[in-house]
Amino acid sequence: MNGQAWLLLLEGAWTTLWISGIAIAIGVVLGLGVALVRMARIPFVDQVLVLYVSLARATPLVTLVLFIFLTAPTLGMGLDRNTAAILALTLNTAAFNAEVWRAAFLSFSRDQREAALACGMTGPTFFRRIMLPQMFTSSLPGLVNEMSFIIKSSPAIAVIGIVDLTRVTNRITAVTYEPLPPILAAALFYMLIIGVLIRVQAIAERKANRLAM
Amino acid sequence: MSEWAIIWDARQAFLDGFLNTLLLFGLSISVAFATGCLFAFWLERRNPLTWLLRGFIDCMRMLPFLILAYLLYYGLPSLGLRLDAWTAGLIALIIYYAAYFGEVLRGARLVLPAGQVEAAKAYGFTGFRLYRRIVLPQLVIKTRPLMGNLLILALKDTAFLTIITVRELTAAANSVQATYFIPMEAFVVVIALYWLISICLELALKWAGRFGAKRGFEHV
Amino acid sequence: MSEVPAVRIERLSKSFDGVEVLRDIELTVNKGEVVSVLGSSGSGKSTMLRCINWLEEPDRGSIYIAGERIGVDASGRKMSNWALAALRARTGMVFQGFNLWPHFTVLQNIIESPVQVKGMRKDEARTLALALLEKVGMEHKADAYPYTLSGGQKQRVAIARALAMSPEVMLFDEPTSALDPERVGEVLQVMKTLSAEGYTMIVVTHEMEFARAVSDQVVFLEKGRIIEKADPVTFFTNPTTERVRRFLELA
Repeated sequence: MNGQAWLLLLEGAWTTLWISGIAIAIGVVLGLGVALVRMARIPFVDQVLVLYVSLARATPLVTLVLFIFLTAPTLGMGLDRNTAAILALTLNTAAFNAEVWRAAFLSFSRDQREAALACGMTGPTFFRRIMLPQMFTSSLPGLVNEMSFIIKSSPAIAVIGIVDLTRVTNRITAVTYEPLPPILAAALFYMLIIGVLIRVQAIAERKANRLAM
Repeated sequence: MSEWAIIWDARQAFLDGFLNTLLLFGLSISVAFATGCLFAFWLERRNPLTWLLRGFIDCMRMLPFLILAYLLYYGLPSLGLRLDAWTAGLIALIIYYAAYFGEVLRGARLVLPAGQVEAAKAYGFTGFRLYRRIVLPQLVIKTRPLMGNLLILALKDTAFLTIITVRELTAAANSVQATYFIPMEAFVVVIALYWLISICLELALKWAGRFGAKRGFEHV
Repeated sequence: MSEVPAVRIERLSKSFDGVEVLRDIELTVNKGEVVSVLGSSGSGKSTMLRCINWLEEPDRGSIYIAGERIGVDASGRKMSNWALAALRARTGMVFQGFNLWPHFTVLQNIIESPVQVKGMRKDEARTLALALLEKVGMEHKADAYPYTLSGGQKQRVAIARALAMSPEVMLFDEPTSALDPERVGEVLQVMKTLSAEGYTMIVVTHEMEFARAVSDQVVFLEKGRIIEKADPVTFFTNPTTERVRRFLELA
């Protein structure tokens, strides 16, 4: 594999990283929003959100990417590939993140709330100063785990023609006629990226355990 | 609405894709589960192969499924082995999920009370028989929720096989919408079908949970 | 004694992490004998018991079950897993933590070893199991799952499970230590019945009354050595060592 092939691989890796990165960033916040709104238990909205989470978790990412990219024009929106991909990834990851946040909320001990209220603290203050900071820490392992999933599912964006780290191997093979080296190199890149995420997750888990929740 | 009429006319394509997805899913996870149990058993031994197996499982957990499918479909021919897309996809699913099943079981094995195995050893159990009769049933019961997650993931990964030209459900949606220009309806049908399978799986898992609950395995 | 002893221990020694836990243990248990093993915590009594069926591997010494050496084969090398399992199948162990298999019913727990290890036919095993359950007073719970039982009930089932293999010797590792005081009696009662029926039993226990009433031999371990070995009358009324005298006064 010559230098040009490596360059193409790096480009593919960059494509994977920046598209996934944006989806991860928005998805974490969106997931928190969904979880918070669900905690508020607004009648109709809650049902809609439950439906959204259920569908998003059951739909394959490949299908979702295709769906969004192909149906957006019929709704009058012309999405370019990258935007469609980011949208699909975000919707997918936000649903999983919502569940991670929700689990953290539900497992939060009542004792802390009672102690705060007994001191005269109001609900919103307690939430903002005591509950939320701890929620961030205890959700972190699950959220980082979900980031690994996004990277592992990101090849789905190749189905609408985006040249990500996986699709780029086809490009390279078209020139070199040797399929194995680029695929193995791409595999190595993925393992590197996910290896880093696993490290981060281990650190996050240590921090979460220190909260001893 | 004539779009839905077109969908109905094209139902054979959807049905073929649906059945193909089910077949790939059902066949692969059955073999993957059995293999995963074997992996977990082998991981308990201490021989050089264990080390290789450990490395293999760690690799599978750090790679996207599609890369494995690519390896088998695009990569193997250069080593002389040419698989058709369906077979390559099936084998990729089996290999990938066998590693995940094995890892889940291994995790549960670490927290199995030692007394269980000691009692079995004290009565003359050893080797695979001990594993199969005493250890494995408890591991499977305990890991039912995690296994359930893996099943849903495996179902969704079948859709990746569209990219290596397997005619499964997502490919069916794609071909119908490309032919008749009805992307919304085609994909709504297909997403509904995935959702349906997923709900059936969750019901089946809940039903399977009764097996464990009856025996006092809490949190099952 | 022309009969081969049920268990013979010669010069048994074992260390954990450089700490000597057992030193030159010598013990012979004849068929039909009940031996109680007493001593304070950390004296090595459980370790000694667990060496007999090779759940712990001794560093030095030999152990014979009905004349056959366990753990080491004829040529002096480590026994294969299969040979070890076969020999273990001839002993029965009752654990402090019961260790019933939770995914099986009471009845299934008892027939599991005879069917799988000895190749007994299922219906034969069921008949045997039901008879044993009657002996320990648990026949009404044959189809219950272990998690529904109390500690005393679980232990009685565990005893029946061990008996199902018709062992040469029954090994009891502090069988009542994990039980509530009200439950201890029902288990000791079963063990007394077994001793009366002539089972060979080695019992590591803290239950002095039981040891006095039922044993043929009482053995006292201190820091890994047997410092007193006597019949129960002598042991409890006139022990020779100062350490045992102090132990009995405190007991």
